Amino acid sequence: MIKSLTGLVLRAVVVLFGTALATFTLLWNAPGDPAQAIAMARFDALLTEDVINQVREETGLNTNFWSAFMAWVGPLLTLDFGRSSVTGREVWPDLLTAIRYMIPLALGGLVIGLAISLSLAIIATNRPGGLLDRFAVAVASLGTAIPAYWLGLLLILLFAVHLAWLPAMGARTPSHVILPALTLGLGVAASLTRIIRSGILEARGQQFLPAIRRRGVSKKEISRDHIAPHAAIPVVTVFGLELAFLLEGVVMVEVIFGRPGLGTFLVAAIEARDFPQVQAVVVLTALIFVTVNLIIDVIYRVIDPRIGESNA
Amino acid sequence: MLKVDHVWVRRGAGFALRNISLSLFPGKTLAVVGESGAGKSTLIATILDLVKPWKGEITWAGASVQTCSPGLVMQEPRAAFNPVLSLRQSVLEPIVARNEDMPHERIKRLSDSLELSLEIFDRYPGEISIGQAQRVAILRALIAAPPLVLLDEPLSALDAVIQKHTAKLISDLQQEEGFAAMIVTHDLGYAMAYADEIAVIKSGGIEEVSTPQTFAKESKSGYSRLLMEAAMALGALEPSA
Amino acid sequence: MILSVSGLSATRSGRTILHPTSLDIEQCESIGLVGVSGSGKSTFGHMLIDDLRSKGLKVAHVPQSPEEALDPLRSMRFHWHEAERALGLDTGSTDKKTLFTALKIEDGDLRKRPWGWSRGMQQRFVIAMALISSPDLIVLDEPTSALDPVTAAATMDLLEQHREDLNTAMILITHDLGLAARRVSKLMVMHDGRIVEQASTEDILERPKTDVAKYLVAHRSWAVVPC
Repeated sequence: MIKSLTGLVLRAVVVLFGTALATFTLLWNAPGDPAQAIAMARFDALLTEDVINQVREETGLNTNFWSAFMAWVGPLLTLDFGRSSVTGREVWPDLLTAIRYMIPLALGGLVIGLAISLSLAIIATNRPGGLLDRFAVAVASLGTAIPAYWLGLLLILLFAVHLAWLPAMGARTPSHVILPALTLGLGVAASLTRIIRSGILEARGQQFLPAIRRRGVSKKEISRDHIAPHAAIPVVTVFGLELAFLLEGVVMVEVIFGRPGLGTFLVAAIEARDFPQVQAVVVLTALIFVTVNLIIDVIYRVIDPRIGESNA
Repeated sequence: MLKVDHVWVRRGAGFALRNISLSLFPGKTLAVVGESGAGKSTLIATILDLVKPWKGEITWAGASVQTCSPGLVMQEPRAAFNPVLSLRQSVLEPIVARNEDMPHERIKRLSDSLELSLEIFDRYPGEISIGQAQRVAILRALIAAPPLVLLDEPLSALDAVIQKHTAKLISDLQQEEGFAAMIVTHDLGYAMAYADEIAVIKSGGIEEVSTPQTFAKESKSGYSRLLMEAAMALGALEPSA
Repeated sequence: MILSVSGLSATRSGRTILHPTSLDIEQCESIGLVGVSGSGKSTFGHMLIDDLRSKGLKVAHVPQSPEEALDPLRSMRFHWHEAERALGLDTGSTDKKTLFTALKIEDGDLRKRPWGWSRGMQQRFVIAMALISSPDLIVLDEPTSALDPVTAAATMDLLEQHREDLNTAMILITHDLGLAARRVSKLMVMHDGRIVEQASTEDILERPKTDVAKYLVAHRSWAVVPC
């Protein structure tokens, strides 16, 4: 097992390095002159060639690809994301602030999503094929079809405008996170519900269950000890994939609800060709991804050590 | 004839098969008997070229075994067929397509010998009994008249009485068709009743090769004795009173 | 003490798969329930277990293969404790040692998952679990079909010794009359959802009365060998 874990970690490192390289290459080759874009963002005025070249030198854009890359990656390992080429400030503190706004939203969305999908799935599997089951599946399917922005606007219309229960825009108070988290959560719940449902149904078909039942074990214990762990495996998988949806959903939701956060940070940085900031966000996102998936892979192997072994 | 010549097959750091030598002549039946994990299925896989021997070679009439297209019957009849195809589609059509002059009489004759009615081919694998499914699998193995047939636990999935009946059908067919049969089984009773020779495999090596009569009278090693006693304890063999 | 069930029947999709059947089992008796697949023997076995349990008797069931008895995601220890709890015992209170030694699994690592043990050991573990509460009756469903003969014979011998110590009655459900005849003192032949003949093992072997029984007796072994 140690062997497979080491393999996983190594793979994670390779992915991270690849991401950094790919991002850097893309930005480097993006259309337009980055130095010009940066200069314009900085000075907000008509520029001469000299100014642009000066910016080019300052930001290291006049060296070749590999030295620029290494100059960037090096400090990264100590969490030094460098300085913004536009504002000159260090990237990390601003990034951290953005993250601070994003985390409650992401976590809130996750919790709401899990709560809704778990409840719906359990209700649905109570009587498979019954009315509630088909209703739950229909709702879940509808949920996957509805785009976040439409749902968000609908929720704003209902709860903020008509009912005036919840605030819509901004992030001033804690209650400002409710509608955005709800939007996010509903989207997550849509796909998660069906996975949990089919996971439970499949787990119920395991061939040793009748014997365990006949041994006198209560239905509750069977659900908790034999069905849930088995059903958890596909759910955990999808969770890892859901993360992608979540992170991209966060960006969308931040825009709709006018919340500051990673999304707005990223968009602004891209527009300003602020290399260091963009790269920081991408690397951070990749790091989150890779870490979560690593944790998921480890969880798999704890639940069922046969996964990942060659004699599975 | 099938010649297994001093074959060694690796497994991990050790060996799945050690220095196996066997020979099998047309029309004869060789039963390979042993416990689970002894290497019986590995032997079949090696004969079929699915596993490469580390040392030694396996030939049929001096050439690779694949040249005689041996028939193969496996333990699980249900797993032998594609569940979404009718038996006609999975068994008959490929044969007829490959072999223009496959006489329908042969199919009829084999079906009769295996007590299958022709209409069974219109059914799907899930619709017929396990006994029938295995007989169709046997038919499929024999349809191209191979000189060699390999059977890996062909009867284990069947009921006790049906086992005996199917064994007889296979044996009768062998008389008619003249193929050489290698039967891997853990059922010593089956081996004693139908094999011309019994090869006992233990931990990848051959313990003993002898005829059923010799086996019964004077099992050379303690292990063969052990197998005999187990078979008697389970009712597969009756001690003469 | 006699364990009795009477009038157990079952239908599936409108078809009767088990006609009303009754059975009396003496203490420590061994009975073979023999018939082809679909004769209703497993159905009768399951119904019998449920019926006797509802009467408060301790009945244990051993399924055909370890895959049908153990959860691959759970350790052996977990299964054992779960079985103890299900019987109303405190976890860890049973005398594992005696049972394990009797069934020759005392060297097994309980922390492992089922697939970490050999199949023979898994099956004997399942039997050990069945014997935890010294049940009045143990029902074995095709106990030898998933194991190779040497392991199967050894397992059955070990079970037999221990069963007699515990005074537990045994029902052996199998399609193999030859096997049953070697292991039980009384045989019941089932066919099409009915018991068509029942008698002591010697009587059935020497004087089978019904065609079904005659057929099964005639084909019960592969060959006769000089001993």
